[in-house]
Amino acid sequence: MGLGSFCVLIILIATFITWYGNNKALRVNHALGKDLKLPSLPKYYSFYAILWLIIPSIILILTWYIAKPLILDVLVLSFISEDTIKNFSGDPSMLVDRVKSINIERPFPGTDTNLIEAAVYLKKTLERVQTFTFLSILSLGCFLSFIAIKKINPAFRARQIVEKYNVAILLVCSVVAIVTTIGIVFSLIFEALRFFDKIPLFDFLFGLSWSPQMAIREDQVASQGSFGAIPIFAGTLLITIIAMTVAIPVGLTSAIFLSQYSSPMTRSIIKPLLEILAGVPTVVYGFFAAITVGPFLKGLGDVFSLNIASESALAAGSVMGIMIIPFISSLSDDVISAVPQSLKDGSYAMGATKSETVKKVILPAALPGIVGAILLAISRAVGETMIVVMAAGIAANLTANPLEAVTTVTVQIVTLLIGDQEFDSAKTLAAFALGITLFVVTLMLNLFALRIVHKYREKYE
Amino acid sequence: MVSKKKIKVLTKRVSVFYGDKQAIKDVNLEIYENQVTSLIGPSGCGKSTFLRCINRMNDTIDICRITGKVLIDNDDIYKATLDPVLLRARVGMVFQKPNPFPKSIFDNVAYGPQIHGLTNSKEELEDLVVNSLQKAGLFNEVKDRMNESGTSLSGGQQQRLCIARAIAVSPEIILMDEPCSALDPIATAVIEELIDELMQNYTIVIVTHSMQQAARVSQQTAYFHMGNLIEFGETSKIFQNPKNKQTQDYITGRIG
Ligand SMILES: Nc1ncnc2c1ncn2[C@@H]1O[C@H](COP(=O)(O)OP(=O)(O)OP(=O)(O)O)[C@@H](O)[C@H]1O
Ligand SMILES: [Mg+2]
Repeated sequence: MGLGSFCVLIILIATFITWYGNNKALRVNHALGKDLKLPSLPKYYSFYAILWLIIPSIILILTWYIAKPLILDVLVLSFISEDTIKNFSGDPSMLVDRVKSINIERPFPGTDTNLIEAAVYLKKTLERVQTFTFLSILSLGCFLSFIAIKKINPAFRARQIVEKYNVAILLVCSVVAIVTTIGIVFSLIFEALRFFDKIPLFDFLFGLSWSPQMAIREDQVASQGSFGAIPIFAGTLLITIIAMTVAIPVGLTSAIFLSQYSSPMTRSIIKPLLEILAGVPTVVYGFFAAITVGPFLKGLGDVFSLNIASESALAAGSVMGIMIIPFISSLSDDVISAVPQSLKDGSYAMGATKSETVKKVILPAALPGIVGAILLAISRAVGETMIVVMAAGIAANLTANPLEAVTTVTVQIVTLLIGDQEFDSAKTLAAFALGITLFVVTLMLNLFALRIVHKYREKYE
Repeated sequence: MVSKKKIKVLTKRVSVFYGDKQAIKDVNLEIYENQVTSLIGPSGCGKSTFLRCINRMNDTIDICRITGKVLIDNDDIYKATLDPVLLRARVGMVFQKPNPFPKSIFDNVAYGPQIHGLTNSKEELEDLVVNSLQKAGLFNEVKDRMNESGTSLSGGQQQRLCIARAIAVSPEIILMDEPCSALDPIATAVIEELIDELMQNYTIVIVTHSMQQAARVSQQTAYFHMGNLIEFGETSKIFQNPKNKQTQDYITGRIG
């Protein structure tokens, strides 16, 4: 029995328990007569019973999956004869891994028959043990929930308990999210620390040259790479600035138009169109940038005898800006629409025109939200990879010229991790160093955004 | 009371529709210069709607349509050549809920003069702001905190700030829509005193739910019911011996 059938079974049982528990509670209610009633609604009693089914099951299943590999090892080692183990040249645990990786239907020719047998045995036993475990878990769950249903009586307040469990479940879920985040951060930090063992932090943060070409394998002639990340940071900054120069004015003005000027009719057409723009996959933007915008800019440059690279920061940045427009416009549209009518009325009643009202009352009042939207958009731009890979290239040039090819942090992370190299080479580890830098920057950006929003909120409310 | 009263605002058969629904029905009303006229009536009877006809604030509501004539100084304010923006500089408005802009106290009052270009220099503007705050009886309370946000004031102060904001553009008429309904009795008393003073220089129309307030501050009272103007006349007469049965019921608290 696999996990799938287990889930199906448990859902069926839960349905039954709901029905049964409800009925039981109703019957108890009925038996109690008119004046006396159960303190909670019937559904709370069945819910309580289901909790007794689900929670132990989940805990036990998790335990099973944690214990499974350990059991496997014991099983394999106990099956294989002493001789085979002795004859094996490596550690016994490697033998176990070998057995585990055998494809039973079509074993690799020349595999030790002892080992194949062990694998077959392993598979069968494991299946049996698992089925047995799952069934016991299910029966235990059923047993517990039937006890819970038995407990239905007027002195038992199911609602309060269910509420408590609800809170606990919500708490556990949010803790999972937090723990995951912490885990990610720590893994980043550890790998990055290993990188900084090889390359000094100072060289990384302030070095002006980036060419991470180290020896791919140990036996190759090593060419020492250099890991100065300034060109990458500069490239990221340049592309983000270009993107924002496109996105902020266009996004903001379209938000103002949509929320203040457009008729409901125009709004109902333009808003979905903008949302389509938001739904276009970034790869599509990427080849739009690489195939259409890039060459177009190059051609345009030729007309003015400017030398524009066909992969340029300008192409990538402007397309990225277009990608971010709907982001800014819909977020700002929301905050602008949220400005209370009473403020606008106040302004109109003073004899202000519409544009004066927008400029002097609505925008200032919506500013915290708009700043928040822009900062969010910036972190989006900083994290964007696809468009840059396709349209701005991967060459780490240190330049402020938007007409040249540049590269960004995310793109470098991708190129560092593609291809085969040792996992603990400085080249691969550099990806983690870049990752943590990116993380720190976006984090600071978000904190900054929150602070600004907070400050203005105090001022404006 | 001088018997010769100058008519400042005159409405002729004014009807207002929200979509198909008629909110004001053929209302003819005179509002006299330098007097306080109060509009009373049960909730939903169209007081606010009528008030908003006088500065064309109903224009900002898409579905709102108005027929009939509103004359200010014998001049039709709904004629095509009239710019509502200029009209609203002549007819100021104070709302039920204080709605200062999220700007400094100074900027709140300076808002109108700035958009209408009323002052030529910074000093002039400062004088005007101080002057308006003084007229609104707020200056002494805020003179040390002109740069703080208008929203940081108390409700009563905010409402006086809104009044100061309105008088900063020297309107001829001030419309007040339940200006005290969000205020406590003390703040209300302050505003009522203020209305008494402002009456010297401005024509005031006030919507109120409080009979006592209408009796205290106004010289003329108009009673509305379901979009109709039921009775109009001197406040003392309306309150002491109303001609209409409905008015009497409302005033004595039997309806509304
Ligand atoms: N923006 C609007 N759209 C549609 N109908 C409206 C609108 N504003 C007001 N109405 C309707 O017009 C009628 C009069 O409303 P109005 O706000 O003028 O009443 P009011 O006398 O000011 O009431 P209150 O004392 O509660 O403020 C009401 O029936 C109301 O439903
Ligand atoms: Mg009203």
